[in-house]
Amino acid sequence: MATPPTREAFLHLYSSTLRASRAFSSYNFRNYFLRRTRNVFREVQGETNPAKLSAFYNKQVEELAVLKRSAIVNQLYGGWRLVVEKDPPPTKLLERADS
Amino acid sequence: MLGFKLEMPRREESLQGKTRPIYLDMQATTPVDPRVLDAMLPYMTDQYGNPHSRTHAYGWEAEKAVEDARKHIADLIGADPKDIVFTSGATESNNMALKGVAHFHKERKRHIITTQTEHKCVLDSCRKLQEEGFDVTYLPVQHNGVIRLDELEAAIRPDTAIVSIMAVNNETGVIQPIKEIGDIVRQHRGVYFHTDAAQAAGKIPIDVNEMNVDLMSLSGHKLYGPKGIGACYVRRRPRVRLEPIINGGGQERGLRSGTLATPLVVGMGEAARICKQEMTRDHTWIKHLSDMLVTKINARVEHVVRNGDPNGYPGCVNLSFAYVEGESLLMALKDVALSSGSACTSASLEPSYVLRALGAAEDMAHSSLRFGMGRFTTEAEIDFVVEKIVSVVQRLRDMSPLWEMVQEGIDISTIDWAQH
Repeated sequence: MATPPTREAFLHLYSSTLRASRAFSSYNFRNYFLRRTRNVFREVQGETNPAKLSAFYNKQVEELAVLKRSAIVNQLYGGWRLVVEKDPPPTKLLERADS
Repeated sequence: MLGFKLEMPRREESLQGKTRPIYLDMQATTPVDPRVLDAMLPYMTDQYGNPHSRTHAYGWEAEKAVEDARKHIADLIGADPKDIVFTSGATESNNMALKGVAHFHKERKRHIITTQTEHKCVLDSCRKLQEEGFDVTYLPVQHNGVIRLDELEAAIRPDTAIVSIMAVNNETGVIQPIKEIGDIVRQHRGVYFHTDAAQAAGKIPIDVNEMNVDLMSLSGHKLYGPKGIGACYVRRRPRVRLEPIINGGGQERGLRSGTLATPLVVGMGEAARICKQEMTRDHTWIKHLSDMLVTKINARVEHVVRNGDPNGYPGCVNLSFAYVEGESLLMALKDVALSSGSACTSASLEPSYVLRALGAAEDMAHSSLRFGMGRFTTEAEIDFVVEKIVSVVQRLRDMSPLWEMVQEGIDISTIDWAQH
């Protein structure tokens, strides 16, 4: 079995997934994906089996791709804040870096 | 990349601080999980083929997607993919199961058993079958909402066609003992067991073989999937014979003709797959939120009654606040999306028949609130709701003359209310 991904690779994947989760405009989805990412990566912390680690890594890479697309769609149709959110509403138009 | 500047939408009045209410009505419907939407979008954009088209790639890829979705749903309930029939929702599945079985066996079987706390679609189908000449027994429930197994056993007759009992009640969250009921029904050959698992699937573990279920209704939009899709599990070994209610080109084993809505089917399949993957995590989280809600409310408000079994599904908490009117409570909680009773009965002013079957007093049934928590609910939302409820109930009780009398120690039930 090939060597499993390095610790740096896992950390990079973790921070990318957190960044994608933070990009959701809906309060509920944002909090859910942040909480889920933390739980899922915490569960795999003690794992040593290289096959399982590789499988987990590959699955999370796929899920990250799904999360990025979902965050884009959510941003396109979002806009209102929930009563519970403490962030102020948007005051100016946001600009995308690649437009 | 795009050729034009992409602007994030500015929704109307969002700059003036318009906010959306918190959603705590998960039994009415659930938000579509973003991962489910991502799985659906290809079939609404480029891959729009009809899954029943046998001759070209558009049809083949749509058919493959539908079969994958069927497999995911079958895995969720422990069934074989060929047993799943896609319908337009749990209401259609319930109609199909009850009316289909009753009409197919109408020569020799004239009896149907159900409970008093079933969903409106089941009760209405039974009423329609009663008009056609069938006998229907509506089993009563105990005070905690669970049926009595000895009453069920006694109600089964030689001409019973089908027993229909829902797994998790949508108004109170009561979980019926499906495995024990399945064992009882299995002992009587020729009686089919149908369960409406719309609220249960994906939330509590269900296995059709372990629980001896012959027919099961599933709903897409209760599993964090899209609305407008559902499924019916129809057992093939031993074969359940039923008459289809929608005739046509013979799709779905002849039981439900019509072109399948590929995006919706794919959405429901993906939702079922995610539910199976996340079931334990979601259940732990929802139990945590539910315990938080109930303990915090009970600690600060008195005379609160929980309707239904405390060991039921934790995501559905039905509380009655004594000496407070339910509709005024709901109107005062304008920042929270709650329901008092089920969505299908909320149009009429009558108290919910489910609470009445549980033996709740009229006034308590009127002042009940149903809190529906789900995968996406947060602790901050629960805290906000608890604060709101405590302040609103206090304010409404201060205005209520009945509350004054209770505080003075007068027993309300001994008063003779005179008309004048």
